[in-house]
Amino acid sequence: MKKAESTSVISLRGLTKRYGVGDAEHTVLGNIDLEIKKGEFIAVMGPSGCGKTTLLNVLGLLDKPDEGEYLLDGKPVERITSAKRAEIRSRRIGFVFQSFNLVPRLNVIENVALPLAYTGTSHLKSIKRASAMLKQFHLNEREYYMPWQLSGGQTQRVAIARALVNDPSIILADEPTGNLDSKSSHIILEELSDIHRRGNTIIMVTHNPDMTTYADRVITMLDGKIDTDTKTAVVKNTRSTVDKKVTLGSRSKSSKRSKKERK
Amino acid sequence: MRLLIVNHISVARESLKRNRMRTWLTTLGITLGVTCMTVILALSYGATKLVDDQVDALGGNIAVIRPGADKKIHDLRDAIIPLGGDSFSVSSLTERDFTAISELDGVEQAAPLMSVDGSVRSSNNKQIIDAPIVATTPALQTISDLKIKDGQFIDNVTNQNTAVIGHQLSIDLFGSDQSIGQLFKVRGQQFTVIGVLGPVNDSINYNNLNINNAVIVSLDSGKSFNQGIAQIRQINVKAKDASQLPALTKQIDQLLIDNHSGERDFSILTDKAISKPTSLLFKLVGIVAVIISSVSLLIGGIGIMNIMLANVAERTREIGIRKAVGASNYHITFQFLIEALVMSVSGGIFGFLLGYAVALLLGTFLPFNPGFTWWVPLASIGTSVFVGVLFGLYPALRAARKDPIEALRQYN
Repeated sequence: MKKAESTSVISLRGLTKRYGVGDAEHTVLGNIDLEIKKGEFIAVMGPSGCGKTTLLNVLGLLDKPDEGEYLLDGKPVERITSAKRAEIRSRRIGFVFQSFNLVPRLNVIENVALPLAYTGTSHLKSIKRASAMLKQFHLNEREYYMPWQLSGGQTQRVAIARALVNDPSIILADEPTGNLDSKSSHIILEELSDIHRRGNTIIMVTHNPDMTTYADRVITMLDGKIDTDTKTAVVKNTRSTVDKKVTLGSRSKSSKRSKKERK
Repeated sequence: MRLLIVNHISVARESLKRNRMRTWLTTLGITLGVTCMTVILALSYGATKLVDDQVDALGGNIAVIRPGADKKIHDLRDAIIPLGGDSFSVSSLTERDFTAISELDGVEQAAPLMSVDGSVRSSNNKQIIDAPIVATTPALQTISDLKIKDGQFIDNVTNQNTAVIGHQLSIDLFGSDQSIGQLFKVRGQQFTVIGVLGPVNDSINYNNLNINNAVIVSLDSGKSFNQGIAQIRQINVKAKDASQLPALTKQIDQLLIDNHSGERDFSILTDKAISKPTSLLFKLVGIVAVIISSVSLLIGGIGIMNIMLANVAERTREIGIRKAVGASNYHITFQFLIEALVMSVSGGIFGFLLGYAVALLLGTFLPFNPGFTWWVPLASIGTSVFVGVLFGLYPALRAARKDPIEALRQYN
């Protein structure tokens, strides 16, 4: 976060990922070059199987590329140990999934506090932080609910709260609205753009073209390659009108975007 | 790190609580194994301690000489065969050895023990009791610290056909512990009771003699049952000074080797060696019991591994989520290992408590009480930790090795 606005947080060079062996070998990501700057809100679009999720997994250090270079904050991540990768995941990256992925046995606040356990935060402290985080998402009354007692939208907001509780600089969202109706989807996207306004980098995979209106850069993928890469100026404008120091809780209704806008 | 352990323990508790039934059953497996172990350890320690205490009470200046070289168990056969065999063999210790030892400078007193085979018969032939009959010299009373309740111990001036009997034998034979002057027969030879020993609570002792039931006669009487030859199974030697004992032992050793034409066909025991379980059978039973209990622990351990593998399979998705939010392989290993350990250690603690309860219960039927010492709980609970780690490690490593992407793809 100390780096200048223009610095690349993520830079991929010739990234290739294959699955299978021999005849069954299948290239999921083929020779991808990508620069992602700090504070960008990127929407990744594309048909099923084009490698969006794999890209996200590679970016999130859950998966390793077969070829190519991945620089995170200017440092190559290829050779770092799995323990170090886990540490980066825990401190720098927040995941939001389509299927929410809350631990079913844990209640809401424990789920949100989960990432803090792996950074050595004391139990009391992590519960406090999780509680503060949930408050920002107006979920403080649901703290002791179990995940199955929540609606889809609430569950996803809990998941986003969990992704944010470690104050990561990069949020990776894999179809965060894929299981939600359009109203909940927009609420979730509002949350994400609030986070974005705080200066976080967000990379979101989505199927829904409507959702790309929140992003300031849209990447479309096709067969493991980047097809188009557009900066959406309109969103930039909207964004510049909003006070950057706006807090997560004070969502401004004025920032609702027109759906007619092109992606 | 410490925080993480606390966290893992609470996570483990949570997940174990969710499957209460199978957690209990798994824990029970370990509990039973540890119970067996605790019972054996507590009882064998109790038995050893009993003899130990007697030796300690004697002040450390006692040496015991037994026929036969020090036996070493090379295999299971060695452990079983000498048991029956030895008791019928002709002893290598002779009366000449005893006399020679008694005359040594450093020896304050020495007493031979000769066992006579036979039963005790009351003079009216109504009561026949199998009692250990021992022929010895008056010195035994001081060396082994025997308390006389009534009458006197055998001495050098008393008539040959007199005997001192144990407290319980007196009651069994004559219906009273006041039996001075009563007559009884051993192998047709008549004896008069001249003393009754006080009741003692150590039926296991280094003399291999249940004092409460014993008949003690003079060595000459004993020899008369054996065509005038003493068949000595043990010589107790009391040194004048405890510090002289090592030197004295060497002296006796040399003396006996000379007497036995250069052969060391005897063993001299001092100190704690005296209290080693006098019977090899005792040792053998202990070993077999430990083997059986370790088999039950093994089964308990397999139970833990089984349940942990099921746990890991059920929670694959959770593992994926945890990895995505920053858990390293080490964290995941640790989490599942702790879960296995919580089961095995609680099994160990329950097993230890239950084992002690059983040992105390058994103690009421046995001539000795279970002993309590620091290494019994350490061994029981230590073993359960070992079992937990041994059988919990593989499932935990398997959990840690799961690919997070695959794991997240799995649906519950």
